[in-house]
Amino acid sequence: MTEELRVAVDRKANGAVLYTKGYINNVGGEEIANRAYELMDDNVRTLLLNLRDTKIVNSIGISILIEIIEKMIDKGGSIAFCCLTPVIHKTFQIMGLANYAKIFDSEDTALKELGL
Amino acid sequence: MSPLVNQFAEFLHDLQQLERAALSSHGSLIFDAFAKYTPYDVSAVYLRDVRGLALRLAAKSDACLAPEVLEGEIESASPTLDPEPRHLIPIRTIRDHFGLVALNGDAASEEDLQMLHAAGAFAGSVLNNHRLAQEMREGDFQLKYRLWELESLYDIGLSIAGTLNIDALADEILFRMISLINARRAALFLRDGDKFRVYRSFGDTRSDFLDDEITDRVVAAGEALTFEDASECIFPGCIATVAVPIKGNNAVIGVLAAGDRETREGDVGAFEANELRLLSLFANQVAIALENARLHKEALEKQAMQRELDLAATIQRDILPKSIPTVEGIELAALARPAKQVGGDYHAFFQREGTLTTIVADVSGKSMPAALLVSAFHAAVQLLFAEGRELGDIATELNRHIHSWSAENKFITMIMITIDPEAETIQFVNAGHNPCYVLTANHMEQLRSHGLPIGILGTSKYMTQTRPFAAGSAVVLYSDGINEAENIGGDEWGNEAFEELLVRSAGNTAVGLRDAIAAAVDAFVGEAPQKDDQTLVIARSAS
Repeated sequence: MTEELRVAVDRKANGAVLYTKGYINNVGGEEIANRAYELMDDNVRTLLLNLRDTKIVNSIGISILIEIIEKMIDKGGSIAFCCLTPVIHKTFQIMGLANYAKIFDSEDTALKELGL
Repeated sequence: MSPLVNQFAEFLHDLQQLERAALSSHGSLIFDAFAKYTPYDVSAVYLRDVRGLALRLAAKSDACLAPEVLEGEIESASPTLDPEPRHLIPIRTIRDHFGLVALNGDAASEEDLQMLHAAGAFAGSVLNNHRLAQEMREGDFQLKYRLWELESLYDIGLSIAGTLNIDALADEILFRMISLINARRAALFLRDGDKFRVYRSFGDTRSDFLDDEITDRVVAAGEALTFEDASECIFPGCIATVAVPIKGNNAVIGVLAAGDRETREGDVGAFEANELRLLSLFANQVAIALENARLHKEALEKQAMQRELDLAATIQRDILPKSIPTVEGIELAALARPAKQVGGDYHAFFQREGTLTTIVADVSGKSMPAALLVSAFHAAVQLLFAEGRELGDIATELNRHIHSWSAENKFITMIMITIDPEAETIQFVNAGHNPCYVLTANHMEQLRSHGLPIGILGTSKYMTQTRPFAAGSAVVLYSDGINEAENIGGDEWGNEAFEELLVRSAGNTAVGLRDAIAAAVDAFVGEAPQKDDQTLVIARSAS
């Protein structure tokens, strides 16, 4: 297992999908934030985070994700998550992320619902 | 009238944006608002550091030479700027001071000065709201985080206690622990003899084994310990490490270690009391889960062993003769009683040109290895007899074959006899087996071993021995499960009792002799469990 988080971006016609692989902690969260803010600066307003290859997220990573969500909401956009492990899904619900971001079981469903 | 008065509403509106803006942009927002709506040159904006009392430079004009930090309290701060500021407008509420704006240019009228101070107070009020909102959000986050910690501990108990696969369990343990205490690295060490070996790690560990000194300290403490002084002993490059023993029923069965706790500020630091408490609680759950997994693994191994024993028993059952052959002039009886744990007794019969050959053999070892060797022995015996070879030649070839095929410590004791009723002779080869008994009307002779057991030495050669075997004589072949049968006290039935019985029962039929021996053995053994295979083959020549 590795400590580093890798992020891949797939630009879509109406937004983008970010694929994360690894630990969403302070460093990993910042990496996601940097990519997300670049996309927001590029007028992306619908962002889907696919966490299928992420098994761990800590509280700092969660707080960074919340900041990203708030920033996107400020810009009038929306962020959604898909393919969460049961543990991360429950974590997001308890920490309140589910109140501000939609969560989908699969990427296909998310893309369809978000119109990406 | 000053333009400040005309645009005061817009001025305040711009300052109000501070409430929603990020902390890092507050300085430039204030600077821009004062530059846009006042007739004065803005030299610099200083704002209080969120974590301290110091005033830090937040924005400045190109012309201003301003130090990064202003020393002293805000009330008395009189910054030495170049150019020297004509006006210092505090950004404050009645209770708190948030910073100040340094202005240059013409002297402000009394009216403008009041407006500037009012704007400063308004900005202070907005910053105060911003700070309160931040604190509320932080408080909300912490509340939810504590709830998440409790839920996690509860979930961990359920989740890992329900995971019986130790590999999946190890991953689950590491993931949960890392999340729970915001660690960057983690490792699960499990006991391996006197040491603790890395079973799973997240990130590199210094060594495959836990450092002896760390081990001693953790085991002695019995609870979570931090190692700021010797952090690198577990994770290379870590500045803080925590380790907690996993206490099983009777001993420490493992150690959980984590390195470098992340902080909200973006760096790493030491683990605090709350993390140590959580980790100790977590280690208790892990101990239960690991014990469950160990018991489950042992149960599976027992099942696998039983399946192996069943299979070995089947192999051996299938190899042994299903019935006693009918041979003219010879009465035969046999007994094969496998012990509960499959051993390696073997017997077989062959007929050739009016003669009868029988073998009794005992393979060293138990269970599947013994059953497989019996199987190989059986195949070779069948082949060699089919080739029509004589006993000594068969034994020599069997020895060469088994020696090259089997493991070094495996061997077979074997006795082969051939009875020729017409010639009234008995031929035999005894390769390290118990002597067999030849019974005549008034005499008992032992056919003793005259060679090493089969498989010991590849170059061994065996010669066929011949003795007279008068009509009415009987021969008794057996395995050591007969004469060494033990009673509940651990005493052996013994050769003496065996021979006395043979002398007493010498006139019996083959079947009668077999039954008498079996009954005597059973009577001696009583309720004691059968320890070894018991094999008897008795052949009596017709009178």
